[in-house]
Amino acid sequence: MRRHFLRAACAALAAFAGASISVSAHHSFAVYEPNVQIKLTGVVTTFKWANPHVYLEIDGTNAKTGEMRHWLLECASTSILNRAGWKFNMLKPGDAVTVIVSPLRTGEPAALLKQMTLADGSKYSNGAAAGKVTIE
Amino acid sequence: MMHAMLVALAVSAQLTGSWEAYPLRGEGFGSGAAPKIKVQAPAPIPEPPLRQPHLDEWRALQAQNAERTRQGLPPPSTGMACMPEGMPGMMQATFPMEILETPGQVTVIEEAFNQVRRIYLNAPALAPEDAEPRFAGQSTGRWERGVLVVTTVGVKDTVRFRNTPHSTKMRITERIRPINAEMLENQVTVEDPEYLTKPWTWTWMYKRWPGYKIQEYVCEDNRYFEDPAQKYQRLRVN
Repeated sequence: MRRHFLRAACAALAAFAGASISVSAHHSFAVYEPNVQIKLTGVVTTFKWANPHVYLEIDGTNAKTGEMRHWLLECASTSILNRAGWKFNMLKPGDAVTVIVSPLRTGEPAALLKQMTLADGSKYSNGAAAGKVTIE
Repeated sequence: MMHAMLVALAVSAQLTGSWEAYPLRGEGFGSGAAPKIKVQAPAPIPEPPLRQPHLDEWRALQAQNAERTRQGLPPPSTGMACMPEGMPGMMQATFPMEILETPGQVTVIEEAFNQVRRIYLNAPALAPEDAEPRFAGQSTGRWERGVLVVTTVGVKDTVRFRNTPHSTKMRITERIRPINAEMLENQVTVEDPEYLTKPWTWTWMYKRWPGYKIQEYVCEDNRYFEDPAQKYQRLRVN
């Protein structure tokens, strides 16, 4: 089931991801709900540090609904994240994270990361192109 | 030995170093440090002065792209396919860029897509029809009273800055100069007798970022492959 969701999410990303004249070198983030932000608390399963976009996968619980799902989270490029204070080896499977994300418009469990908070309370942005957080 | 030293001394160092786009592009894109010396930001890039029917087609494409983006369906693009921006787009410094001045050559390295551009100084200008088409085109330059004047021809047909079509006769002229201790100005003029009714001009500005080390950006790295149906790169799902 989890595999199916991930496959569907990736297919949706693939179908809709594209680019316009944007502030991103690679593609715009228009596939994601522009006005919806949700908070997930969970555990890292995969941290893929590569261009054009870094991917983070978590088993995350929606802070509002309590629903647990496996999420694929799209981040900016390695260069943007480095400049925003991230590091290639800062996360490993099993690490606890809290994230604020904008989900895919399709409702599938893939999302654009807005902000990540680590267990020690430190916060990391996903760069200007991903936009600011509007919830706590 | 003496001659080599004199040549070395003659190399300008005004442009050498790392630069970020100005106005600043927000967190993750640059230093975030405002210029110490206040300068006026350049005007937005105007609409390309395309001949008809290209202008109507261009406007229709812009409208279509805006509508698709609004619906969450941004159209495929060369960037999505991990293709480099090429000229002149690579000079907008989406990510920071580095300029290196060496004897007889100015080299521009744009972090996005690892793009490299070599400008040969005081070299014979290339006729557009003799220039092998490349993403960055082929550039020659000369210093004119403190301004680096660069001419570029031979830009690939598939390179479409702002979705603007061009012919093999396109010629890009850049006038690059320091405007103060920390800023560069690049006055860009695009001429194309087949596609444009008049020169298309705008100005880009760059702010020096002392000590910034350009990063690697291999766009094809993360599980992407070309979708035969969509003709662009997408995530590979294992």
